Amino acid sequence: MTKTILTVDDSRTMRDMLMLALKDAGYRVVQAEDGVHGLEVLRAENPDIVITDINMPRMDGFGFIEGMRADPNHKATPVLVLTTESDAAKKQRAREAGATGWIVKPFDPAKLVDAVRRVAA
Amino acid sequence: MSDDPFETIKVTFFQECSELLGDLEANLLALETGDGDIETINAVFRAVHSVKGGAGAFGLEDLVRFAHVFETLMDELRSGRKDCDDVTIKTLLRASDVLADHIAAAQGTGAPVDAARSAGLVAELEVLTHGQAASVAPAPVVAADEDDFGFTPLTLDLADFGAPAGLPSLDLPPLGLPSLETASAAVATAGWRIVFRPHPRLYASANDVSLLLRELARLGPTSVELDDSGLPSLDALDAEDAHLIWTIELSGDVAEAAVRDVFDFVEMDCDLSITALGGAQPAVEASLPPLPVLDARPAEPEIDIAALLAKAAAPVEAPAPAPVVAAPAPVAPAAPPPAPAPVAPVAAAPKPVAPAAPAPTLAATPSAPAAVAPVTIRVDLDRVDRLINVVGELVIQQAMLAQRVMESGLARSSDIALGLEDLELLTRDIQDSVMAIRAQPVKSVFQRMPRLVREVADMTGKRVRLVTSGEDTEVDKTVVERLAEPITHMLRNAIDHGLENAEEREAAGKPAEGTVRLAALHRSGRIVIEIADDGKGINRPRVRGIAVARGLIAEDAVLTDDEVDNLIFLPGFSTAETVTDVSGRGVGMDVVKRSIQALGGRISISSVPGKGSTFTLSLPLTLAVLDGMVVSAADQTLVAPLSAIVESLTPRVEDIHYVGGHDAVIRFREEFVPLVDVGRVMGFRDDATPLAGGVVMIVETEAGSRAALLVDAINGQRQVVIKSLETHYRHVDGVSAATILGDGSVALILDIDALVIAGRRKSNRPELKMAS
Repeated sequence: MTKTILTVDDSRTMRDMLMLALKDAGYRVVQAEDGVHGLEVLRAENPDIVITDINMPRMDGFGFIEGMRADPNHKATPVLVLTTESDAAKKQRAREAGATGWIVKPFDPAKLVDAVRRVAA
Repeated sequence: MSDDPFETIKVTFFQECSELLGDLEANLLALETGDGDIETINAVFRAVHSVKGGAGAFGLEDLVRFAHVFETLMDELRSGRKDCDDVTIKTLLRASDVLADHIAAAQGTGAPVDAARSAGLVAELEVLTHGQAASVAPAPVVAADEDDFGFTPLTLDLADFGAPAGLPSLDLPPLGLPSLETASAAVATAGWRIVFRPHPRLYASANDVSLLLRELARLGPTSVELDDSGLPSLDALDAEDAHLIWTIELSGDVAEAAVRDVFDFVEMDCDLSITALGGAQPAVEASLPPLPVLDARPAEPEIDIAALLAKAAAPVEAPAPAPVVAAPAPVAPAAPPPAPAPVAPVAAAPKPVAPAAPAPTLAATPSAPAAVAPVTIRVDLDRVDRLINVVGELVIQQAMLAQRVMESGLARSSDIALGLEDLELLTRDIQDSVMAIRAQPVKSVFQRMPRLVREVADMTGKRVRLVTSGEDTEVDKTVVERLAEPITHMLRNAIDHGLENAEEREAAGKPAEGTVRLAALHRSGRIVIEIADDGKGINRPRVRGIAVARGLIAEDAVLTDDEVDNLIFLPGFSTAETVTDVSGRGVGMDVVKRSIQALGGRISISSVPGKGSTFTLSLPLTLAVLDGMVVSAADQTLVAPLSAIVESLTPRVEDIHYVGGHDAVIRFREEFVPLVDVGRVMGFRDDATPLAGGVVMIVETEAGSRAALLVDAINGQRQVVIKSLETHYRHVDGVSAATILGDGSVALILDIDALVIAGRRKSNRPELKMAS
């Protein structure tokens, strides 16, 4: 069955890139523009995997992951955070918030799909 | 649009960049005026961060580098480590200008970035960030990041980097990795023994042991053993705790980095030891001290890692404590992963008994679904324009049909006539909706102006504050695009010619800082743009002197103040005695006026000496349709814009008076307004239109003055599709455009202001050669 991935990012460029790479890899992609929107789409779409940015308006990625983990339905849904190589502190905070793994920006499609595969059954 | 999706995304990126730059500037200005808060700083940070992120994806290195330095300072500000003072904001504003230059250069639409200016700003930003310029200029990224983590324990961060392959040069002292690297590089290994004990955290972050085992199996043949001896009996089981230890033997010549990479995400959430198989190398122990979080769970039975390792180092053939699974190395990726012990999923599953209290944010969301950003699609402009054209034809066709029905003698109350009325309403609805697609806020133009004002202020050495309002006013896209140049020019003029310098201002009792207002508003079906300065106003004697010197007016011409002010719009007029850097670009106000007229707009000026000048642009909201009054004059059908018409009346002979013997005026509500004989002014007839049977329309010009247009008859009100006369013929004074009527004939659309001026010129001001 086709897996659904929710991408949460306030940058249209980044959403488009994620969409392109993930669609090519055969995933169904749903999008949200910030953490608040992300939680809404999460409940509406029940994605199998979530990819989220950290810096977003209204609710950032940490808040989004915490909100997601607080939802019994999404306690065990894998979440990958988009981070930059140098953002070790953010990685650490994302981990504490319950992120499953991370994708280092800028990513190439192969790396992205590889990271997704590693957390998806 | 390109077929290459990557290129398409690049186009999106630059579109997004221009939006981000707009937000950036708006937010910085909010900070400058003191309207900003921490969220404003955050928004600035995000904008720069997004630019950097996208630029990184497209390998735009110069842009990334500059954005990074910018972002680093923003990070200092938003963390509160640095105060957001005036100096900082001014620097940030200039940095946003350079950022825009970098983006334009990357896009290929701008000149190459002024390297010295960029480097200078980088230095300034670094001084603000670090208190001094970073000494390691060639690698600002590293320098900045060190600072970034100044307040977090460094060892944790480094460990978190995980895969040594990514950062081989980083020293990780406690882990002894360097020695391992040399070892693994030198010796071809027979394989690896991996002992892996997940912590509860590993499951809590939705990692899955079976997936890790699957990844290992991709590297080579594996055999897996599970030690479930730590598993309590079912009634004592805490489903969220971790009890299992896995031992995996991976055979084949696999790099240690590849093995370690599998555990990249979970490295900190497990005890992990990776030992070379069959080699004499010492076991490399990579397990990490338990996290503080784990310490909070004393229930976890302690397992002696040393003992575990000893066990792991024992011969492979030795009977394992509980060989639940022994997968014989599935190499094909499609093969199912080695099944974990039946209990394992339970450990990973959410605990149903004690769901954590939902975060307040989550609970709050159902009530706020309206906050979702509007869904948009992007459509080629061509398609929209095609639609607009077709709808235009529909409007004409509908008008023709209505006329045919009228001519056929059907009663107005007949079903066909009534149905036609409904059709007309629908047509109008369609037209409005289509026009709305093209409508855009003028924000995109207004946003570019603060930078311009800063630059002109710098060049002229004047202190200027720009105040904008009405940025959300919507107008047709074409109008928006063509507004940028005239507004730019008029703002330049306002600062260069209008505003005095600080000393002059103070001497005149005004604040040292000059104010330029840029406002957009809707007024009677048109958009009005006002550019006002609080400077010295127009120097009328000087303007008059220049006009006389250039032969634009006769020396003894009698002009009102307004007429003098309007002289600056004449071709060849330039008030700058010396050509300055700012305004001396060979473009006079006449060019501004022409470009506004080309849009069907008008420009006017009002000025008060010592108080300042206001330029007012008035433009149609759309270039496609017009609500008009169809009139006839000397057998010609004409259309007057409905927005200009105040009322219409049948003239009485006793209301008409002649000033100076031949200038006709008409009494209208206790005032006299000039009477313009349309047929005569337009050159359709030589003799005057007879008053008897004629109709007068009272119109209001853009400047607010009134005039009366005398025509033969009013034929009705109609929406007409505007067709440019200049494109198909040439510019005709007094005419703004043409249209096709229901009967298929062409009608000219009157330019009221031009007509009134032409009427005045024709009758009583022969000496004033003022262009319309």
